[in-house]
Amino acid sequence: MKSPFPSRTKKADQAGNGAAPDENGAVVEEPKPSRKEKLSGHKDLAVHHGGEAGKDVAGWVDSRTNATGIFTAMMSRHVPKGTNWFYTLGSATMFIFAMQAITGVILSMYYTPSATQAYASITHLTNDVFLGEFVRGLHKWGASLMIILIFLHMARTFFFGAYKYPRELNWVIGVVLLILTMVMGLTGYLLPFDQRSFWATIVANNITASGPVVGPYLADFLRAGPDFSATTLSRFYALHMLVVPGLIGGLIGAHLFLVVKLGTTAPPWVRAARPKGAQRSEAVVAGVAVADSDEVSVSSNGVVANGSVEAVAEEADQAKSKTEAPEAAAGPEVTEAESAPEEPEAPEEPEAPADDEETTS
Amino acid sequence: MPDSQEKNLSAEDRPRTKLPEAEPRGYFEGESLTRRKVFVVASQALGGIAGAAVVLPAIGFALAPVFERGKERWEAVGTTKDFVPDTYKQVVFTETLGIGEVGKTTAYVRQGSEKYGEDPTEYIAISSRCAHLGCPVRFVQAAENFICPCHGGVYDFIGKRIGGPPVRPLDRFQTRVTENHIELGPRYSVTNQLKAVRTRDPGEFTGGIWEYLYPPRPSTFPPP
Repeated sequence: MKSPFPSRTKKADQAGNGAAPDENGAVVEEPKPSRKEKLSGHKDLAVHHGGEAGKDVAGWVDSRTNATGIFTAMMSRHVPKGTNWFYTLGSATMFIFAMQAITGVILSMYYTPSATQAYASITHLTNDVFLGEFVRGLHKWGASLMIILIFLHMARTFFFGAYKYPRELNWVIGVVLLILTMVMGLTGYLLPFDQRSFWATIVANNITASGPVVGPYLADFLRAGPDFSATTLSRFYALHMLVVPGLIGGLIGAHLFLVVKLGTTAPPWVRAARPKGAQRSEAVVAGVAVADSDEVSVSSNGVVANGSVEAVAEEADQAKSKTEAPEAAAGPEVTEAESAPEEPEAPEEPEAPADDEETTS
Repeated sequence: MPDSQEKNLSAEDRPRTKLPEAEPRGYFEGESLTRRKVFVVASQALGGIAGAAVVLPAIGFALAPVFERGKERWEAVGTTKDFVPDTYKQVVFTETLGIGEVGKTTAYVRQGSEKYGEDPTEYIAISSRCAHLGCPVRFVQAAENFICPCHGGVYDFIGKRIGGPPVRPLDRFQTRVTENHIELGPRYSVTNQLKAVRTRDPGEFTGGIWEYLYPPRPSTFPPP
């Protein structure tokens, strides 16, 4: 029953228990300020409120936008144990997209989207303009590279099972992004307007038209008429320059937002210490207050993030022993360091991901 | 969450009582809509109208070419003496204006042949656009076939498919004779029985139920 959203869980944990004594009479320590609180720097608000704004422009902006907090929350968020180079494929794709956007804008400074002048402008750009060949080459090869990287990124997501709950929506967004990238490839292919791009576009249009019922109308829409005409090129150019990049940019934003919100998954070969859900239901059965089991999960999260794997195993055991003998149990902070695991039946797995809900099933 | 309920019960035993719902400000007996609701609906409706006034014309602007038909164009490609019934002559003419070389297309023209039940005063103009995916076919005199270089589509002398992936015979152009000059007009497609229909894009079947699955488009000209 543990919420899959780490941020929500944390908030609930903070709200759930103060310094109040729990049912066993042990005083639970005041929770330390969470990482989030520390990073967002809300306490500085008062400092940057008034006259010293001019002294510290960055601080002035930061106190009004919390830019640093947002940036740190994004860039130094927790990642599961086992995160590896395969996890960089998405960033690599985004880097290529940025490169395509920049080179595309530069190319558009020389390009003329007219059926009679397009080819000449591309020839001029390639042969005469300083570094024109290089920029066009970057754009051309970057397009292929982007498709390759997307498929590798997609394969990583698939084989690591990262498309499963709660990340299905991000998979769907990713698929839409893949399709939009292919639309970019299709519309961009026509723009040089040589024989190859012209005939490839004719064929692509006719494939579109061969879809039953709506196909013929769709092809008319793409071509802006019953045949390839003067409007077709400018239509493809507008789609390639304005419509599709805008959609891709917005969807990349949504994609990243969900990545930050939901966190990433551990690789499948890294397994959880034990199902957290099971631990929790045991606690409920034994009548231990909810605040306690929450406290355990919080500290275990923190410990795993710090990388001490054995401590987690101990803690899991601690939680178990507590459920079985509530009177004997002390607060988790006390036992965390010293007590050794004594429950023989607990099947411990030394590799434990930080906040990975996938592996609990 | 069963556990949170348990906690609440153990913490305090008194049952929760629900307060009666407060009446909205300015409410009077028998009122069916609150002022707030009226203003919410009204402002959203106004926003919707303003949005539609911008978005609908833009969509119409982008979609208009689907419903528009261009002007009929006829172009002379030769005199009656240039064409014979036994073989085709290749002519190039402009199908779409304003885009230079790209707007030109190739047709294979011959005089009507009695061998195929055609009127000798008529002229047949067959489009070079392959009925598979639109590559340009060429007429091979030795085989008396049209052959497509892309995917191996083969058509016989009168343009009917005899091999490869094409789904229908080659398209044709309307022809007319004005003062001994052969003029080519709008394109049209044919069924396998050579019945003229409105032009379809390559890859679309013609005739029978296909006329409904690939409906005629308003942007094309009616068949002769």
